[in-house]
Amino acid sequence: MTDTTADIHVRPEFVVERLEAAQDVDVERRLSLFERISNINAVRKFTILLGLVALWEGYTRIGDVEPLLFPSFSASAAVLWETLLSGLMLEKVWITVYVLVLGYAAGLFLAAALLVFAVMTRVGSDFLSTMTAMFQPLPAISLLPLAMLWFGLGVPSLVFVTIHSVLWAVALSTHTGFMSVSETLRMVGRNYGLRGIPYVFTILVPAAFASILTGMKVGWAFAWRTLIGAELVFGAASGEGGLGWMIFERGDNLETPYVFAALFTVIVIGLIVENLIFRNIEIGTVQKWGMQR
Amino acid sequence: MSDHAIEPYVRKELEGQEIGEAVIGDVERRLSVWERISNVDAVRKLSVLVTLVVAWELYTRISQINELMFPTFSATGTALYNALVNESLLINVWNSLSLLLTGYAIGIGIASVLVVFGVWTRFGSDLLTTLTAMLNPLPAIALLPMAMLWFGLGPAAIVFTLLHSIIWPVALNTHSGFMGVSETQRMVGRNYGLKGLPYIYKILIPAAFPSILTGLRIGWAFAWRTLIAAELVFGGQVADTSGQLGAEGSTAGGLGWIIFQSQMENQTPYVFAGLFAVILVGIIIENGVFRNIEDRTIRRWGMQIA
Repeated sequence: MTDTTADIHVRPEFVVERLEAAQDVDVERRLSLFERISNINAVRKFTILLGLVALWEGYTRIGDVEPLLFPSFSASAAVLWETLLSGLMLEKVWITVYVLVLGYAAGLFLAAALLVFAVMTRVGSDFLSTMTAMFQPLPAISLLPLAMLWFGLGVPSLVFVTIHSVLWAVALSTHTGFMSVSETLRMVGRNYGLRGIPYVFTILVPAAFASILTGMKVGWAFAWRTLIGAELVFGAASGEGGLGWMIFERGDNLETPYVFAALFTVIVIGLIVENLIFRNIEIGTVQKWGMQR
Repeated sequence: MSDHAIEPYVRKELEGQEIGEAVIGDVERRLSVWERISNVDAVRKLSVLVTLVVAWELYTRISQINELMFPTFSATGTALYNALVNESLLINVWNSLSLLLTGYAIGIGIASVLVVFGVWTRFGSDLLTTLTAMLNPLPAIALLPMAMLWFGLGPAAIVFTLLHSIIWPVALNTHSGFMGVSETQRMVGRNYGLKGLPYIYKILIPAAFPSILTGLRIGWAFAWRTLIAAELVFGGQVADTSGQLGAEGSTAGGLGWIIFQSQMENQTPYVFAGLFAVILVGIIIENGVFRNIEDRTIRRWGMQIA
């Protein structure tokens, strides 16, 4: 027997003498109109957005803030509308999106090549894991000075850093996904006589699609951030630039409504990519296949 | 009955005329020394690294590449050694890290206030989801020009951008983690009479720790990238991230600034040395700090295997 005894907390007994009669409470009642409206998610969120915009507008108007430092919402919106109509904004968006798509596609392609190599040979797998361990922690933008030295100022340098930001994130996440594909699925593939590239694309890719998609999302987030950052640098060196350059140039010229208009556009593109493109891929694949609720 | 008759595929019968004698290979044998060595993970990865370094050194030596374009590995190594011992690379690293830590700490503070508010009230939750949906896709670096306008050139502007890159991923992941805490665990907490902050610290945070850690990791990755970019992009303008404007000596500025400055002065080996330092800091924080937190929390608690 041990000599350590535990003190047990004993709750004192008590008797409730008289219970109050239950007040007549609503067991069931129709919600009031206000309650029903405020139960709609979209309405509440929209109200919050409107509230924030009103706050911004009110602050800049009443606080008499210097418009060069912090333009009112209406001024920013007007500039956004004007640049959309004149086509200036779309042109900037096109320049940025073009580089992004080019870099993203090239990054995915290189990642796929590395991964096929890694799946087929042990050297490839070692090579891939060493390279990702080295390059994943390196912010792609820090390669920009070197890229500008090697490829000159312009699109190739931007594409180079974008590739770098996509490649390692996608490769890392896909490789871990491939590693955790269950032995049963692998054996099914081998049973069908699949080898090499057909084995990768018909067995491994669908089985690991959830992690591939995560990798693609992370890669997109890094690429978008890197590209905007790179355009801020590259902007200083050349006249033809996309959204990042617009933010930098207009900021330097103290045309702050333009900066805010460009920031809105950046947000909208981000929302479109995340909520339309990736969301739809997710619904069409991993959710349809029942891999993710 | 449907009129679509399905023609079953009948495999032809075949008879193996002569089956070769079965050969049974080695059922058990000792691996050769070579096989045993090459089965050690570290050895294989190290040899990949050594091969890469040798390829780099040979390529730059044999093809006579201009050192300004692509320095040899040995030149880079020497530059890194020089920068560490004779110059003040460590101080530059510290300048970057102290900014990062300041931003990280304040960012987590703001994110937790937002999340606590989001857990308590429906309005807070709506506000949080609307703000994160809007601001999470916005690269923090894009705010730097405005930040420099508002806070002037210097550390305040950079910390502001860092805050922006940390708050949203952390808040988003923590909030969705809290939302995913199972009703059973919540009821256990309520059964113990926990409310308010103790409820959050004792029930929600441990239960949602995997997603909180993911948020912290993403926040760190974005912040590190933003910081390097900010120092690099506005290296010329925010010359000194350590406080005093107008860099005096080489101790001023962070890692990004060192990379930018070395490139401007055409000291490419120092650019590579700076990149190595960035990689090393990244590996130390990922594998040293986050890996340890993971080992001591979610792995020990059995929430994550492997």
